[in-house]
Amino acid sequence: MIFNLVVSHFRWLARIPGMPHFFDALLTAGTWAFYPQRLSAMEKLEREALSLPGVLLSIHRFGGIEFLNENGRELGHLHGHGLLDVLVGREKAETLIASGRVRRHHVLPHSGWVSFQIESAADVSFALELLMARRKTAEYSVTWIHS
Amino acid sequence: MLLGNIAVGLQIGMTVVLLNKSHWVRTLGLPSLFLVPVLAGVIASYVWRTLKPSVTDTLVSSLWTTLMALGIATVVFHEGFICLLILSPIYFVAVLAGALVGRVLFKVDRSRLHLCLIPALAVVTLVEPMTRKDQLNVITDEIVIHAPPAKVWPLVTAFPQIPATPGFWLFRLGLPYPKSTTTTGPFVDADRRCIFSGNAVFKERVVEFVPSEKLTFDILESPPDPELVGHLTPHRGQFVLRGNSDGSTTLSGSTWYTLHVRPAWYFDLWTQHIFRAVHLRVMEDIRRRAELPDRP
Repeated sequence: MIFNLVVSHFRWLARIPGMPHFFDALLTAGTWAFYPQRLSAMEKLEREALSLPGVLLSIHRFGGIEFLNENGRELGHLHGHGLLDVLVGREKAETLIASGRVRRHHVLPHSGWVSFQIESAADVSFALELLMARRKTAEYSVTWIHS
Repeated sequence: MLLGNIAVGLQIGMTVVLLNKSHWVRTLGLPSLFLVPVLAGVIASYVWRTLKPSVTDTLVSSLWTTLMALGIATVVFHEGFICLLILSPIYFVAVLAGALVGRVLFKVDRSRLHLCLIPALAVVTLVEPMTRKDQLNVITDEIVIHAPPAKVWPLVTAFPQIPATPGFWLFRLGLPYPKSTTTTGPFVDADRRCIFSGNAVFKERVVEFVPSEKLTFDILESPPDPELVGHLTPHRGQFVLRGNSDGSTTLSGSTWYTLHVRPAWYFDLWTQHIFRAVHLRVMEDIRRRAELPDRP
């Protein structure tokens, strides 16, 4: 709720250096205090994603952590309250949204981005699937550009 | 991890000591509420990097580090407990923000990350002091007393010991609260003494004295209380009485003050919250005594 309020009404705060990271730390502390199961699932996702070959971790510019492929392309990012944002492409986004497993992106609702709320360890495999789906697309586009 | 925490606590302590000793660094605004804990968090995660901490580890260690840093501030700098209590949530989140960024930053060795973090910290370092401008603030509170201004007025100029035990939670935790006020007389230039708990005395001088209407006094000297020194300067206080058509009196109490700690928006919320409690303790006691039935 706080995340949606800030994103919809105070998005300009993201322009202040360090502010998104400060806000994300606040979200992380809140998750730790009130949703420990969710935090543990977030840590599991990070561990399992990093165990995959070529996946790297970075700091997301709007707070949270960012998963990258070996070419430095973003696979997705995870906010401090367990919201995973992944760019899956418009067509796939519509299919996933229709299936009810993900929701429209909180800032770019009509784009190829989708948001998936991680709640427990049971959600980690699907979150990884989303990241891997993006990984295939990213690799394909790099190959296409190079060719 | 414990060794890392101790090392980080010592680092923060030393950083705070150095920042307080170096005038030019203080001028730059480095020892701000935001930068020091963020940098402390980044340094902390550098110390912890070999342990490959998880988010939970980082959270627990940041909390521990925050408590340690605040402990150092109490012991070394004799900072007030209430001030530290107010400071602690924002300080913890700032340490955590630095530590979470550092956790990722020191997990991988990619120059792009260093390059994006350094300008961000540099911008914050340079912009923060530019926003520093001591500003005179005022807070006013009003209550209605079911008694005419002529009956309320003598109770405003000076009042004996307030018998009520303080209800405000920070007063219960040890923040000084008003107990009584004395004055040398009902005239301009009279000396006033506003006595707070713990023998904290505010020395004041009456600068405006309009019977049954207005009492204004300058605060000449504040007690050397660690909750006040260097953080807040109260300048002036005022009581205004307004007679209402139903025979009651609207009593308003105001305090003018300057806040020296940043971020002002955060500390001003607390300052207003505390001043409101001070005003209401005094004004509620004036109301209680003014509304007592007249003795024959």
